[in-house]
Amino acid sequence: MGRIVLARAPQPHIELRGVTKRFGGTVALDDVDITLRAGGVHALVGENGAGKSTAGKIVAGVLTPDAGRLLLNGAEVALRSPRAALDRGITMVAQELSLVPSRSVVDNVFLGIESHSGPFVRAAAERFADLVAEFGIELEPEAIVGRLPVADQQKVEILRALARRAELIVMDEPTARLTTEQAVALRRTVRLLAERGVTVVYVSHFLDEVLAVADDVTILRDGRVVRSGPATGETRASLIQGIVGREIHAAFPRRRPRAPSAPVVLAANGLSREGFFGDVNLEVRAGEIVTLAGLVGSGRSEVLHCIFGADRATAGTMTLDGESYAPRSPRQAIRRGVAMVPESRKTQGLLPQRSVRENVTLPHLGRFTTVAGFVRSTGEQNAAGRVTGAVGLTGATISSTMTELSGGNQQKSLFARWLVGRARLFLADEPTRGVDVGAKRGIYDLLVDLAAEGMAVLVVSSELEEVLGLAHRILVMRSGRLVGEVDGTTASRTEVMELAFGPAAA
Amino acid sequence: MSPMALSASRRRRLRPADYGIVWVTVALFILLSRTSDVFLTAVNLRNVLDQQALLLIAGSALTLTLISGHFDISVSASHINAAIVTALIVNQSGSAVAAIAGGIAIGAAFGLLNGLVVAWVRINSFIATLATSFVFYGVGFLLSDRSIIRIADRGFSEVARGRSAGVTNATWIAVAVVVLFWLLLQRTRFGRHVFAAGGNREAARLAGVRVEGIVLTSFLLTGAAAGLSGALLASRTLTAQPSDDFSFVFAVLTAVIVGGTSISGGEGAVWRTVFGAFFTAFMVNGFNLHQIDPIVQRLIQGSVILVAVAADNWTRRRRSA
Repeated sequence: MGRIVLARAPQPHIELRGVTKRFGGTVALDDVDITLRAGGVHALVGENGAGKSTAGKIVAGVLTPDAGRLLLNGAEVALRSPRAALDRGITMVAQELSLVPSRSVVDNVFLGIESHSGPFVRAAAERFADLVAEFGIELEPEAIVGRLPVADQQKVEILRALARRAELIVMDEPTARLTTEQAVALRRTVRLLAERGVTVVYVSHFLDEVLAVADDVTILRDGRVVRSGPATGETRASLIQGIVGREIHAAFPRRRPRAPSAPVVLAANGLSREGFFGDVNLEVRAGEIVTLAGLVGSGRSEVLHCIFGADRATAGTMTLDGESYAPRSPRQAIRRGVAMVPESRKTQGLLPQRSVRENVTLPHLGRFTTVAGFVRSTGEQNAAGRVTGAVGLTGATISSTMTELSGGNQQKSLFARWLVGRARLFLADEPTRGVDVGAKRGIYDLLVDLAAEGMAVLVVSSELEEVLGLAHRILVMRSGRLVGEVDGTTASRTEVMELAFGPAAA
Repeated sequence: MSPMALSASRRRRLRPADYGIVWVTVALFILLSRTSDVFLTAVNLRNVLDQQALLLIAGSALTLTLISGHFDISVSASHINAAIVTALIVNQSGSAVAAIAGGIAIGAAFGLLNGLVVAWVRINSFIATLATSFVFYGVGFLLSDRSIIRIADRGFSEVARGRSAGVTNATWIAVAVVVLFWLLLQRTRFGRHVFAAGGNREAARLAGVRVEGIVLTSFLLTGAAAGLSGALLASRTLTAQPSDDFSFVFAVLTAVIVGGTSISGGEGAVWRTVFGAFFTAFMVNGFNLHQIDPIVQRLIQGSVILVAVAADNWTRRRRSA
């Protein structure tokens, strides 16, 4: 098989030479040279908008460059479509998976390349077994893909690529939707692929992951290559420096001391939602940041949703500022001064086709509405301008459409939304998911400022750094229960993770 | 989605591609003015306006429903029932005001029922209103005792046919309804909530929008507007006839969609529906003036709708690339 020969020869598999790609007025890639060695894992890192996904998509034929050349095994090629790339053994596992959820694993893996006699599809069990044996990716062949966890669906995508004899796989943020354990498993799969001679292009935000998995790293900034070389020469600090172009001294703002006598804003007593979490007792005081840590699926988001009235608690009571609080809808929660930045900005947060202005004023439109129901545009515009300024929305105006904004700016808009009114309690679910390093710091500053102004802040986060770096107090959940509380100023990573994972299985 | 495609600020507020329907309508207008002696006469244009009046009344409201993320196929049934109720009331009481109000009321009642089924029972709106259509058609046959109702009072035709400033009352009413829905969508909080509910239902809910209430109100308004258009139909023709004919709603839907309002919700405008209506109206008018075979007309009309929607898809896709 061709790929074994390739694996032994560390010759270039694909080379980008002087590649430029524009989107409208924006230059996404500017005269970029990248060499991908055959049979290696090559990571592309950079901030959102640095050009890493674009580079990956050009390699996979999803995008075609405006200028520059692509060399495949030394010969120039034009990859005009994903199909053309696939014909040359190149494929992509995208962030958004493209599987048929109602069909089985086998059906998905061999979709479009079924072996058949005449019009009848032949059983593919043997072919599937061969594939599994060759690459060591275990999956139940008859499982329905839609019922599998995301991590397994990703394996289906990878198997599908391998079934097509792909020699180069581009993975765009493959671990973005995975839990920590799943991400570790995926890294093993990626290494396995490399050992079998498959070239992997690995686009990722997560630097530790990149350092663990990659042979080579290319750092992109503003559409240009900062440097490209072996991963062994890089550290987390050197990567960050390359990505942002400057040393970030403190990733987190200084924690402000909280007044010990600050009033309790939110108190939950025995809060439960059957099937999701049970018997949660917690308090958040004015000026305090509490983070809710735990593994994905431990019930953290569900707790937030109940506090925000988006889901109904099945048992337990809450008080807000000492008064009884049982919201039956987000609308009621908002009226009581509760705000929530949801986990998924795409599906739960944004109105993509509408302007920044309309997005940020939506929950508090009543403030700018006349008795007859008309929106007073001056008042609305002033407020939108004020809050977008307050969250540091840069490079966009309040009349920009949401889809024109970077992920970081979209997320900041969702924060701005709650600054139009005065919230007492601020809930944030994975507040920095999918945003770049610079925007992250902006969001941390914002959360700390909100607390300093006397708001009670409750943050759910899967990023341990964030949990430790922001919190006055850390609450840890496991399987729908609160299992511990740690002081944010003294907590260690291991302390939190041990609580989250629970006692080691015997 | 690639984060980088969204990076930086690409501000393109006035995109000519967004106004495709305006350009083609204007182009068609100019073309017809040049190729036909009759097109650009007061009589012809007044007729075109009058013929579009009922469609625009229902279309303005249906635009709202589409933006809220739903379909309403029962516009035809409400339209027909309203005509029947209007005719019955005018024959019984002789009051034009009561007759028109009755037509609007039955449309609104049907709309309310649709809204309840869609918002709370959570049945897909296309299916739900298809089903309620049959119920409403049945009601129409019952109300009219399966026969054509003739309005005895010939003066009742003045409601739709009477003229001010040379243009029919039906046209003026249509203008008022168009302006009303345009204001409602573009300038009010309710309008914002309609866009929000259709653009991203869950995000709207989490931002405190009462999505069910918004959907219910959209259907109610659409029913009422279909009712008004039916009442005017009765006035215009002085008859009302039960049927189970879906052609009105499809004509209305064609105007809305050719205008460029998205069938997936969250995007659209009343002015688009106005242009969509006039584009199709000019086309039909041009065919007739040029004496084109009605069979050929159908072929061309269908193709034009396909091209319009395809062009719209294409520009949208390019924008989001």
